[in-house]
Formats: sequence, C-alpha cells, structure tokens
Amino acid sequence: MKKFSEEAVLLLMAIPILLWSLIPIYHIFLFSISTKDSAFSGALWPDKPTFRNFETIAQQHHFYLHHFWIQIWNSLWIAVAAGAITLFVASCAAFGISRLKVRGGRTVMNLALFTYFIPAAFLAIPMYKAMGMYGLLNSRMSLVLAMVTLASPYAIWVLKQASDKLPYELDEAARIDGATPLQLFRLVYLPLMVPSMVAIGTYALLLAWNEYLYAYLLLSHERTVTLAVALGHFISADDSPWELLMATGLVYALPPAAIYYAFRRYMVSGLTSGAVKA
Amino acid sequence: MASVVFDSLLKSFGKTKVLHGISLQITDGEFMVLVGPSGCGKSTLLRMLAGLEEIDAGSIAIDGRVVNDVESKDRDIAMVFQSYALYPHMTVAENMGFSLRLRNEKKKFTEERVANAARILNLQDYLERYPRELSGGQRQRVAMGRAIVRDPKVFLFDEPLSNLDAKLRVAMRAEIKALHQRLKTTTVYVTHDQVEAMTMADRIAVMNDGRIEQLGRPLELYDRPVNLFVAQFIGSPAMNVFEGVLRNGYVQGLNAQWPVPAGHRGSEGQIVKYGIRPEHLEIAAAGIAAEVHVVEPMGAETEFLVKVQEQTFTLVTHGRAANGPGDRIYLAPQAQYAHLFDAASGLRI
Repeated sequence: MKKFSEEAVLLLMAIPILLWSLIPIYHIFLFSISTKDSAFSGALWPDKPTFRNFETIAQQHHFYLHHFWIQIWNSLWIAVAAGAITLFVASCAAFGISRLKVRGGRTVMNLALFTYFIPAAFLAIPMYKAMGMYGLLNSRMSLVLAMVTLASPYAIWVLKQASDKLPYELDEAARIDGATPLQLFRLVYLPLMVPSMVAIGTYALLLAWNEYLYAYLLLSHERTVTLAVALGHFISADDSPWELLMATGLVYALPPAAIYYAFRRYMVSGLTSGAVKA
Repeated sequence: MASVVFDSLLKSFGKTKVLHGISLQITDGEFMVLVGPSGCGKSTLLRMLAGLEEIDAGSIAIDGRVVNDVESKDRDIAMVFQSYALYPHMTVAENMGFSLRLRNEKKKFTEERVANAARILNLQDYLERYPRELSGGQRQRVAMGRAIVRDPKVFLFDEPLSNLDAKLRVAMRAEIKALHQRLKTTTVYVTHDQVEAMTMADRIAVMNDGRIEQLGRPLELYDRPVNLFVAQFIGSPAMNVFEGVLRNGYVQGLNAQWPVPAGHRGSEGQIVKYGIRPEHLEIAAAGIAAEVHVVEPMGAETEFLVKVQEQTFTLVTHGRAANGPGDRIYLAPQAQYAHLFDAASGLRI
C-alpha cells in the first residue's frame, strides 16, 4: 500500500512536468503545420494541416529564408568543428594531466574550474576584440574558436575525472608491452574513453549549435550567420511569419535530437569492465 | 633468459624509506620469490626492476646490463599484474599479441606466437572473447599468455594469485610452476603468501621493512631461519615461540624445562626465545603439561590449540584426535628441531 501511494505521488508530479515539457513542442509543431491565417486560431489541431511551410523553407521562398541552406550548413560546420576541436584539446589535456601526470596539471585543472566564475557574456566583448585583431570576424572559424574556448574547461574537467577512473595498471602494462606515450594514447586510452568522449563531444557540439550571443556578435553577414541568429531575425518585423519561424525552429531542433538518439548507446559506460578485478 | 642483479638499492617515497640497500643476485633461469608482509617493499622492488619506479641509488642489472636508465619497454621483461590489467577493448588474442603489434611484427608471426601461448595455457577456445567474458582464472591465464608471447628475458609476477579463490589459487600455482619448468625463464615472483613462496620458489628472499631478512632455498628457510622474523613468517601453522632462560642444557620457561638442540651457541643464563614448529611437538605419556583448548580435525592430520600456562601452542599430529577440549595432555618437544633465538636481537643462536 505504501509503495502504491509513493508511486501515485511520483505519477502526480510527473504528469505536470511532462505536460510542461511537451506542450511547447506541440505548440511549435502545431504552428509549423498551420497556414498563416489559422496559426493563431487557438485550435488544438489545424483545420487544414499543411506541409507548405516546410516547402517554403526548403525552397527558400521567403525574405527571411533566402539563405536557409547556407545558414544551416554554417551551424552544422561550426558545431561539428567546435565539437571535434574541443574533443582533441580536452582529451590531450586530460591524458597529459591524468595519465602522464605532467607537472602543473593540478594548476591547469584549478584554472579550468576557475573559468566557471566568469560568465560567458562577460567575455563576449573581449572575444569580439580579439577576433577583430586576428581578422577572423565574420568567418566561421571565429565562432568555432570562441566555442572551443568556452567548452574546453568543462570538457577537460569531465574527461580528466573519467580518465582517473581508468585503472593505472593498464598504462603500466602497455608501457611494459612497449607502448610509447602516443601509442598508449591512441591504442589504449582513446578506445576506453569513447563513452565519455561521445558525451563531451555531444556537449560541445550542441553548445555551438545552440549558441546565439557569440554567433550574433562575431558573424554579421547573412551568408555567414548561423541558423540560430537567422531565426532571431524573424521577430525583427512587426508581422513576423510565425508559422515559418516555428517550422524552421522545428527543423533546427531535429539534428540535436538525432544526435542524442544515435549516440545514446555510447552514453552508458561499462566498457572498462573486465580490465581489472573490481 | 638472463640473470638479474640488484646492487645496494635505495628507495624512498617522500620521507619514508621503503628500501634500505637491497642486494640480491638472481641466476639465469631461477624462480625467485620475494615474500614478506604488506609494506615490506617487495612490490616496490619488483616495480623498480620493471622500470615502473625510479631508482634512488644503487643499480639493477639484467643479463649484465645496468638498466637504471633504460625504459620499461627496452628492458625485455614481461609482467603479470595482480589485477590482470588486460586491455578491456581487445580480444584475448589481441591482448596477447599487443606487444608484438607494437613492435611491428608480421601478422603471421604474431598469430603463431599467440596460438602457441594459447596452446600452452589452454586458451585456444577463448581467443576471440573479450576479458569481461572470462572468469578470473581465465583472465589470469591471458595475463600470463601476454607475458609468454613476448618471450622475455625475465618474467615478473606481482601477487598474481591474490584475486583468485582458494581452489583456483592452488591450481594456478601448479600451472605457473609447470610453466617455469617448461620455459625455464628467469622469474621474479612477489607474494605475501608464504605457502606460495615455499611451493613455487627455487630460492626465497624473505623481506621485512625494506630489508632482506634471509635468502635461501625454501627448506633452508624452514629448517634454519636466521632470525625470529623468518622463523615466524615461514611455515603454516606458524612456529610456537616463547621466552625463557637457558640453564643446565634446558630452556626454563612457562614453568617447564624445554630440551634444546645440540650445537646451539647460547650461553648459560642467556634470555632466549624458544621456537618449536607445530609438527615437532608430540603428545606423550609424560612431559610438559598442557590443556587442550581447540581440536581442528583435518582428515589426514589434526591441529590442536593447547595451553601451557597462559601461552597458546599449536601442534599438529598425524591421524585422528584421541583427545578433546579440556583434556590434560603432555607435550614432548623434539629437541633436534627446536630453534633458539637471542631474546634481544632476535638472531639465531
């Protein structure tokens, strides 16, 4: 009886939370399949559901959508590059600090933690200035570098913690087997870090994919901005095309969902089981 | 195949000295066991030989070459870890062939060597499995296979059996010994288990507190321990020891007279520790009075815990027990097997 009441309480709490999360998504979906006239009708299902909005997006048949494909390509390019570079930087740093035990490793970790005290928005203007000095403004690389800067401390921190959990005997065994540090990194360390790397790569990728402020600052040309910034442009007019905004937003939300779905099996750890006696 | 020579090795961790000048020569093909309680420095010594710990002072030579500044991978050694340390993302075959892969050996050569090691260790059916799919004993064999495949000059074992259950431990003990008899590779084996040391070693180095207390063949250590530490560490059940005074050719202690071995170097009136192994105490019709406390029948032999005054003695007799707890019995020590140690220094006299 006690168990039943506990479950009932949990259920009662879960239902509002579920609705709270799902209703906005449903709302977006509803808008995206409505015509401009019926979008604000307040109905739970449009009279004439249509995929016209998606056609308009795909064919770039709207003032705000003239550069849709190049903009989503920018978003993708930047997100993938930021994810990849963050992974490279963070895994090298974590390997050096955690496995090779390089001098000053602790200091680097403390500094990485310290960066949390500085809000990203605080760094936006200095970053803008720096990118300007290097002549990177308005290039995709500027946003990639900015995103790597913001994502790396957390990534290093997480990967270092994960590295510490790998049994050190594996490194010793590999050293005796004849592995150089680079071989150790490539053949033993990286394969065992795959679950954490996937999680961190996804984190950095989505951070860059969702970024608005830095993208808005560092990229200003219609053909260089990301889709996130382009979406922002929609509401600059008095009569915004809400149905197109929502449809584009839905398209924009699909890749992260797909990434989560594809990599979910990597998110579980357990790859190290069997290495050493627990 | 190679000799190993430790010369005056010193090692400290911070301010703690863990090795105080270890010198030890291991001959070609020998099975040397380093045994001692935890913290005695035996694992550190092995890890220094493996190149996993720096050498503070002294030298280590393998096959006549000083290897102080030689990296692990260039020392031509193979090590089996207590925790197995198998690469979890590689199959058994890949694990065993990893060192050859790093050396860029031909694939065919690697496969042959792996197959050969697998045959020796009965692992042929498991080559495509991952470590997580193996039992503890199988993992241990893979770890040994990894060492065999390299055909190194020296095998190092760091408490390889401590993670196995008792039955498997006995079986693996025999396997390792058989392996050594077959390959005749110089082996340095670290354990805290004196039974492992006794059963496997050609020679044993008993270590305590960063020093080698005694070096010798298993039965030498058993029959003539040089000091009290070795006497009590080697042998199971442990030697019975109590304090007494040497007087008139006997040791006076526990209100009784204990016969001493011929040829001891003690002097009249000296305070000594008298040691006698459990199997050298016999139950007799007359002798030193004792009370039976606990009887542990083990089938072939029986172990008694008896009390003389307040001192507990262990004794082992062949066959079945005729006495039960509370019974009064008489002990007859076999004088020729008794040991005398100086009470102050603990050295054999």
